[in-house]
Amino acid sequence: MISLQHVTKVYRNGVTALEDVSVEIDKGEFVFVVGPSGSGKSTMIRLLLKQEEATNGDVYVAGKNLSKVTSFKVPHLRRNVGTVFQDYKLLQDKTAFENVAFALEVIGKAKHVIDQRVPEILEYVGLGDKLNAFPDELSGGEQQRVSIARACVNRPLVLLADEPTGNLDPNTSVDIMRLLDKVNRIGTTVVMATHDQAIVDAMRKRVIELDKGKVVRDQSRGVYS
Amino acid sequence: MARFEYFFRETAAGLRRNGVVAFAAMSTAFIALFLFGLSLLIAREFELVTRVLTGNVEVQVYLSDPVNDGTVTRLTERLQQVRGVANVDYWDKKRSCEQFRELFANQPVFLENVNCMEVIPTSLRVNLSEVTDFRQITAALGCQTVESGGQERQECAEPGVRSVADYQKLLDRLNAITTVLSLSVFAIAVIMLASAIGLVANTLRMGMFARRKEIGIMRLVGATNWRIRVPFLIEGMVEALVGAAFAIAFLFGVKVFFVDSLRGTAPWLPLIRNTDVVAVTPLILLAAAVVAVIAGTIGMRRFLDV
Repeated sequence: MISLQHVTKVYRNGVTALEDVSVEIDKGEFVFVVGPSGSGKSTMIRLLLKQEEATNGDVYVAGKNLSKVTSFKVPHLRRNVGTVFQDYKLLQDKTAFENVAFALEVIGKAKHVIDQRVPEILEYVGLGDKLNAFPDELSGGEQQRVSIARACVNRPLVLLADEPTGNLDPNTSVDIMRLLDKVNRIGTTVVMATHDQAIVDAMRKRVIELDKGKVVRDQSRGVYS
Repeated sequence: MARFEYFFRETAAGLRRNGVVAFAAMSTAFIALFLFGLSLLIAREFELVTRVLTGNVEVQVYLSDPVNDGTVTRLTERLQQVRGVANVDYWDKKRSCEQFRELFANQPVFLENVNCMEVIPTSLRVNLSEVTDFRQITAALGCQTVESGGQERQECAEPGVRSVADYQKLLDRLNAITTVLSLSVFAIAVIMLASAIGLVANTLRMGMFARRKEIGIMRLVGATNWRIRVPFLIEGMVEALVGAAFAIAFLFGVKVFFVDSLRGTAPWLPLIRNTDVVAVTPLILLAAAVVAVIAGTIGMRRFLDV
């Protein structure tokens, strides 16, 4: 599903974020990418979204070589890849329903599809009773659920999560992890960058550890360190 | 259908959010398009005036003294064959002098000192439909301007002809005035249109900046560039077209309140009509569309990257 082959990323200011990284992730896997700040976790996520181009090497997502995907086709690639971030990235002037619906609207889905799928997915993430709440009326965990709902409403093949529990307390984090696990169990490949040790240790999933842009460990059913 | 609803909802939201700046863009577009239309109408008015000044003119063919009837008949027949000539009229000394006295009736001293019968030549007055046709008469009579001793003088090959009134200078002057006037008004219009483009582009850019978070999310969920841009393009188009609508309304206002009040005060002066204003409206709308498209291209250039 995801394949990085000898990927090197050097930013324009000369910083080497990733150096000769090779990783294979199969369909339906749940993978933690761990490592200290500046180890290259976020760069890896950005490469998978084609927000950045690899300096060297090839990146494959859902069977496509990203360096060969024209910028014209990038939006279609992203429809297969859901994204969740630490800061939720919700629109403050839209309700939970509208935030999720926005993702379908901008890719041109019909209104009856939106009206059917959005309540469905919000119900799925456990917010069936908060469709009309605005983000500032929701707790951090609930906002992250909305953002997960938005990432999943288009039934992506891959879910990329960049520090999704970074702003949440431990109990809420556990709830979010349960939700991500649930999303993973229906067949979505989940890649989660984190440095939340307790979560990684509790989940016992595959762990890829990065340090200074290099893969220093790739262990199935691993722990944080 | 959902798509159009989306585009118009987003456009309306953009205009609301950006109210003051959008208003500034609209007013500049209005002023620019108004001046643009005004320049076209001024050019049209000048064209009408030029037509009056140069249409239906009389060209004088001066004859050498002494004149005999044979020469007059021969030249009249000759001139009537030239294309563009309506009719030829012979003015003898007596008739020419009467006109001369009439012209200088309030300058008796001048009249007394000039022996009209000697000085004023007899002439053939040729009616032309277009003043530019005077060249055909000079050509037919074999006249050309020669310079001798720093003075320009006309020489004609045709026997009995002294000279033909030269309208070249008048035409040159009219041309020069037309060119200068049209060019300067056009230059102002271009400058105004450029600033309208700048302001509309700036409005779009501010709108995009205000919504950069939204745009970022749109990118993440896989919205195509066109999906993101079209509401802004429509926004720019609406601003330019609202400006154009006001410009057209004001041009009609100028025509009704200023031009029409001049009607009757100077009967010889031709004035633009409603049809002339109607004729410039497609050009104004076209200019508005050009403003919107260029503004959109400039305003969104930085946002083209994925």
